Amino acid sequence: MAGAVESELVSEDTSETEAVAAAAVGVAAILFALSLAALFELVTITDTLAGVPMVALLGALLLLLGLGVVGFGVGSRLGYVATNPRPSAGLVAAVAFSGIWFVVGGLVASQTFGLGTIGWGGVAFVTGGLAFAVTALPREDIGSTLPAGLLAVFAGAVFVTGLIGPGWVWDLGWEQSASFNAEFTIPVITAFCSLLVAWGAAKSYGGFGARGRHVGAYLLVYLNALSIIAVLFLLVAFTVFKGLPGLFNGLSFGLGTGPETTLFGFTFAWPLSWPFVMNGVALLNDVNGVLPAIAGTIWLVIGAVLFAVPLGVGAAVFITEYAEHGRFTQVVEIATNGLWSTPSIVFGLFGLAFLVPRLGNGKSLLAGMLTLGFMLLPLVVITSREAMLAVPDEYRDASAALGVTKWQTIRSIVLPAALPGIVTGIILGVGRIAGETAPILLTMSGSVAPPGSQTVDVIGGFQFISSPPFVENPELLQATSALPYQLYSLITAGVGQSSNIANIEQFRWATALILLVVVLGFYAVGIATRYYFRRKLQHE
Amino acid sequence: MTILPDKDAGDLRAAARREVQRGRDFVDEADPEALVTVTVASVALLAAFVGFLAVSSLTAIPFVVFLVASGYGWFRHQELTARVLTLTTTVSTILILGLILVFIFVEAWPTVEYATVTVFGLPIPGLRLFIDTRWSPVSPPIRYSLVPMIHGTVLVTIIATAVAAPLGVAAALFLSEIAPRAVREVVKPGVEILAGIPSIVYGFIGFTILSPWASDQFSIVGQGTYLFVGVVVGLMALPTVVSVAEDALNSVPESMKSGSLALGTTDWQTMTSITLPAAFSGVSAAVLLGVGRAIGETMAATVMLRGSPGLTKPLYNVFYGNDTLTSLIAANYGDADGLQLSALFVAGVILFVTVLFLSIGSQYIEARMRKKLGGAE
Repeated sequence: MAGAVESELVSEDTSETEAVAAAAVGVAAILFALSLAALFELVTITDTLAGVPMVALLGALLLLLGLGVVGFGVGSRLGYVATNPRPSAGLVAAVAFSGIWFVVGGLVASQTFGLGTIGWGGVAFVTGGLAFAVTALPREDIGSTLPAGLLAVFAGAVFVTGLIGPGWVWDLGWEQSASFNAEFTIPVITAFCSLLVAWGAAKSYGGFGARGRHVGAYLLVYLNALSIIAVLFLLVAFTVFKGLPGLFNGLSFGLGTGPETTLFGFTFAWPLSWPFVMNGVALLNDVNGVLPAIAGTIWLVIGAVLFAVPLGVGAAVFITEYAEHGRFTQVVEIATNGLWSTPSIVFGLFGLAFLVPRLGNGKSLLAGMLTLGFMLLPLVVITSREAMLAVPDEYRDASAALGVTKWQTIRSIVLPAALPGIVTGIILGVGRIAGETAPILLTMSGSVAPPGSQTVDVIGGFQFISSPPFVENPELLQATSALPYQLYSLITAGVGQSSNIANIEQFRWATALILLVVVLGFYAVGIATRYYFRRKLQHE
Repeated sequence: MTILPDKDAGDLRAAARREVQRGRDFVDEADPEALVTVTVASVALLAAFVGFLAVSSLTAIPFVVFLVASGYGWFRHQELTARVLTLTTTVSTILILGLILVFIFVEAWPTVEYATVTVFGLPIPGLRLFIDTRWSPVSPPIRYSLVPMIHGTVLVTIIATAVAAPLGVAAALFLSEIAPRAVREVVKPGVEILAGIPSIVYGFIGFTILSPWASDQFSIVGQGTYLFVGVVVGLMALPTVVSVAEDALNSVPESMKSGSLALGTTDWQTMTSITLPAAFSGVSAAVLLGVGRAIGETMAATVMLRGSPGLTKPLYNVFYGNDTLTSLIAANYGDADGLQLSALFVAGVILFVTVLFLSIGSQYIEARMRKKLGGAE
């Protein structure tokens, strides 16, 4: 085959051009990182780097990159670079580029030259149309490099010539004022252009055609995944970094340093003193803490699980094992999925209207427990049902063949086999509800910064009375705090309500951190359980 | 009421007759003592429920009867009791959805009635909630317009969707088709943890870091922009989009992908011309669910917005943020009573109904896709 021989020959010198394209991608990546750093004010755009002003440096790099990519495309078209492009860059790219150039043309015409609506509209249409034609009509090597490269060249030229310099401001002129400043505009334009150029360069690296598109798309998809993980990491790391000082404030170890606790009649002192999780808020405390909120969250989770798990697993058993697949199971499925996506604030409203008047006519821990239980319920149903559906029918048949009843099959075959899935689902669901603020805001929120004496003690709260309902527990019917609510109220509270807390900023971050630790702890356990069971299943 | 065509009516009647026959067989076969036990338990539970609804202090008595009866049944007639108990739990799940609907509608009604406008002599309840634009619960004329909040919710949702949909679908493609196994094992739990971070922590970081930064960057007076609330909410809706879209992409039969690859296409060509089109409806269901999440997100909006109901000027000014439906409820429930509280319930009804429709719509789309792919196999 002639083509095979040819590609064998050109692969010799493609390695060189590939290196050039890869270098362009690398420079674009550096530029992207630099613009992000500028956006988050790690470097300021008024700085100079090695004697060159930052803006000029960004502009020069953009110019260089843009010219490089355009040169690559033109070189490929003229046959200096061996590639295998398609006849056109395709409609998607054409529409995207025409949109970008439409905006560029419109902005330049209306803001720089001050043309009216008709004027800038016309210019925008011309630039957009040109970009469309340049992308769609010529061969792919021109179509996917020229519009991207020229944009970078244009932006670079604007930066280098100082048309957009560090002092540049575009006041939008709205009644509620807002304006684009240079500190935002320059990094964002740079980042955007470097992404476009990197895509073009990646396509060139792949030699255009199917492989080029593959490389270009993979670059963007990998970048996307990377940035999601980076955002996650940043969020968690930042909270940990800001929260740690407050969390371990006054921590000390040693026998007898901690507070005394009485459990089952024995009184003992903790071997460590950790004020932030062992104290409440009080005027005389050396270090204030969030013990009442932690206790509240723990009891909330226990209550919600006690309510939702039996109901949810029972419902899942019925619709998977007993009910025939039909209208009824469909209704249940739609209802559970609908419940699952219902906004949490609506659950809060429901708790306010339905539970609060019926449970002591005031916000209470019990109302919060049940409201969160309502939220947890659909998740338990959905995950338990999935876990039970995953149990192979052979198991049920084998059991039924032994002559046992249906319920015995469910109890001794289906439920044990589905248990890992159910447990994982419950743990992940608990993680979700433990961090919910909106429902408990409306149903159980108490004081902003509760003292340690307000820690709920549900077990000790039960007492028998002579009139129906014969058992009562005032602890359950009291408003209390929980970690997410405590964080919310610390954010929104006025100065007077939290005046006992000396370093409010540190206290807030520490609260956020401990909430994050509790919630992500549930998630970590849930995910780990899933991996453990999956590995066990694979080994068997 | 529409009159059913004869055939449907006939089918229904036949089905009903079958059900009745089945019930009769069931009663005939079951042990009478067991039957009495479960009947007592059911009636007692029903009584307890009615008592709870009626705020009766006697609620505990039928509930105890229910516990005793079902406990007895559990030891003597486990088969039947288990069946009835699981049926009860199923019914209560549906009942909860029904109760939510009924209760928030009932609480919302007074304001809807208050906002009645007569058009051509025909009173339309609730119309003024949507044609006026003033929210002034204290100074007369007292008006509870939800237009500013709906405007805020729409802006935030559009921005959030613009963030979550493309990034989410790309991440789902990455997880399901592209990532090597080792990378997937890291990214997938990462996305799940992103879903796990409590919304109030997002809100807190937005409030302390993002809002001041945005005010500084865009020279905004005060803090709170729909733009950055939208970005934060988009980040929170992202995991929903990723996981549902990934499920959809995974459900495309492997044979279709292999067939394409066997023709010599690149992985990316297979994705864009086979996998994505086949899973298109599932992916759009994922986006719909993500939109639902974004609409209902409360705490980030409450903490980051200004909480002063009103339209932005101009309407597309996303660098200013007043209030969304959710933040209105969370910020005002405390000092609201009477009509104003009821107006908050109206906001809740709008949220609930919108999200319910999105959920049902996405379920319908997913079911259709499953059927289509199932048929193609």
